[in-house]
Amino acid sequence: MTDTATTPPAADRTMAKGTRRPGQPLQRPTLPRRRRKQPAYPVFRVVVLTLTVLLFIAPLVWMVVASLKTNVDIYDPDKTFFFTPTLDNYANVLGRNNYFVFIFNSFWVALCSTVFSLILGVPAAYAMSRFTMHRSAMVVLMARIIPGVSLLVPWYFIFANLRLVGGFGVLILSHMFVALPLIVYLMMSFFDSLPTELEDAAQVDGLTPIGAFLRITLPLSVPGLATAGILSFIFSWNNFMFALVLSGANTKTLPVAIFNFVSYASIDWGSLMSAAVIVTVPIMVIALFTQKYVVSGLTAGATKG
Amino acid sequence: MKRHSAVRVAAMAAAALMAAGALASCGSGSGTPAADKESKTLRVTLANHVWTDTVKSRLPEFEKQTGLKVELSQYGEDQLSDQYNVKLNAGTSEIDVMMYRPLQEGKLFAKNAYLADLSDDVKTNKEWGWADFQSGPVLATTYKEKVVGVPIITEQEVLYYRKDLLKKAGLEVPKTMVELEAAAKVIKAQNPGVAGFVARTGKSAAVTQFSSFLYSFGGDFIDESGKSGVSSDAAKKAYAFYGGLIRNYGPANVSTDMSWPEAMAIFTQGKAGLYTEADSLYKNATDPVKSKVAKSVGFAPLPAGSSGSKAYNIPSWALGVNEASANQANAWKFIEWATSKAMTLEIQKAGVPGARTSVWSNPAGISTYPADLAATIAASTKNGVGHDRPLVIKVPESRDIVGNPIVVAITGGDSGAAADAAGAAFQKVLDAEK
Repeated sequence: MTDTATTPPAADRTMAKGTRRPGQPLQRPTLPRRRRKQPAYPVFRVVVLTLTVLLFIAPLVWMVVASLKTNVDIYDPDKTFFFTPTLDNYANVLGRNNYFVFIFNSFWVALCSTVFSLILGVPAAYAMSRFTMHRSAMVVLMARIIPGVSLLVPWYFIFANLRLVGGFGVLILSHMFVALPLIVYLMMSFFDSLPTELEDAAQVDGLTPIGAFLRITLPLSVPGLATAGILSFIFSWNNFMFALVLSGANTKTLPVAIFNFVSYASIDWGSLMSAAVIVTVPIMVIALFTQKYVVSGLTAGATKG
Repeated sequence: MKRHSAVRVAAMAAAALMAAGALASCGSGSGTPAADKESKTLRVTLANHVWTDTVKSRLPEFEKQTGLKVELSQYGEDQLSDQYNVKLNAGTSEIDVMMYRPLQEGKLFAKNAYLADLSDDVKTNKEWGWADFQSGPVLATTYKEKVVGVPIITEQEVLYYRKDLLKKAGLEVPKTMVELEAAAKVIKAQNPGVAGFVARTGKSAAVTQFSSFLYSFGGDFIDESGKSGVSSDAAKKAYAFYGGLIRNYGPANVSTDMSWPEAMAIFTQGKAGLYTEADSLYKNATDPVKSKVAKSVGFAPLPAGSSGSKAYNIPSWALGVNEASANQANAWKFIEWATSKAMTLEIQKAGVPGARTSVWSNPAGISTYPADLAATIAASTKNGVGHDRPLVIKVPESRDIVGNPIVVAITGGDSGAAADAAGAAFQKVLDAEK
């Protein structure tokens, strides 16, 4: 499917090879002008790209470098780049503070909230797309519009009375509240872009509407599912506010646990930075390997109709 | 066919995960102790602090003594505050013992009836000795004549100085504000790249450390008649002096957003000669792992202004019992144990200044402190003022207001006019709280 969408039709291809349309000679004079601009453009491109990359990478580089320094060296401007590296901070985070528990907590909450949100959100999005339920879609979107912090007190009140605060269940539910609208909206636009003729054909061949969804539409939606899943996972992994209030001592997630290194009268910058590296690296790796899906999924359906 | 089986596998995996997740959720949910009357599980919420580390290491003893199980939650200062705002507002009974900041949130919590009345509990056990606690901190944990908290950690403002730089300058440790300014000037002139004086510069963060200068110049945030004292002549002098010290003898291109981590870093990197700060942070300066000047740091009482040396002496943290807790009797048992003479002595030896007079007068209580710091604390406790910020309900807003003239003074603006403006704005806050 994607092949037909990205490859130009045969007629266009032959045109690109040199077949002329009436009026085309008018475009010709622009070509030499473009060539004259060329020396300046690559320089500009390189400068802008380098600056942008530096801007985004500098804090990350500082974080990684600081995680390999002692607390005295972190503050020393003379040792910004040249210092004796140490792995003590990582030993402190993973050994003495046993961050594996928090890594598991974060991973478990992110995974469960993403999977449950997909299970609920994808059929909902399909229904909303195929039966044009715009009002229902708006209601779902409300969850994204309301600021999360205003929900915390009522949530805490309800969940505390249900004796759920401190467990994984409440964390997963709270993350689903934000992940679901995201998934529903992404998948809605994805389903909108899939031709209904395929499902009609499947039904002519004897499939039920649900069968057509499961066997035809869903397999075609893998890029969309991947995008929605990844974005939902990233949101959950990074979420601090809900986890701060709703987690318990044994279910703290990484963004909350990272503050263990900030005390009233001392800040352990080295361990704080190595914990930050541990929080950031998995999500960066996931994002790097899956960015192709995220981009294609986000733009799916963008040019429909 | 392949696609179908892939979908089927994915669906089955999802279903399995869902079931597992649901089980895990239920498991942890039902594992959360019920807030039954006099539950055997005690929920204690504490801040990240050396105090907490010591208490944590001794918890098994308490659990053995009482047969209770302590469930400890630990957070950074700001995160703890956010937690309380949400949970106490929702009327939670899931917190039994809470560590809180009497001067920052004590008045608000007491007014909202989040803190249980401990007036009877503190009197019950004579051996535990409520009378042993310093009067200034006790005042800060008392609201409308009811005891609502037990102070655990105290703090005074002291002068941190570099012995080597003062020696090089041929100067004695400054005893007055005039001598402080003169010493800062000489140190800056003699040592290129080293500031004469450094202190907090952030609008809100600097308020507490500025407060001792204000008192020593004869002022206060609120005057005796209950009106704003921020625009008084004494306050204007204090603003101009504190800001002037940093402007004239502080680090080059000084930021006006420094709290203690930044100011302390300048001092511990050897880039400043004199530094006024809370004594509770002293280990950051004397620990060679954190400080380059660990061996040459000295401590002295805050230099005297026109009204003498009046540093604050405050309880930075206290323990309280949640009014909505159904486990208040056990919560008190924990507080009694954690604030006992023996525990206070042990915690103080670990470097956390406590609030018990008997521990301060016990040589063992100051055995781990640098001798000059112990003497400084003893002196500051005598003349100490019991608050380091405006005693109001809206503390964060008030700190921003009264802290603004500090920044204006540092940046070379008209701090007198800024103090007048701050005085008017602060008076509005006071009027609104009446």
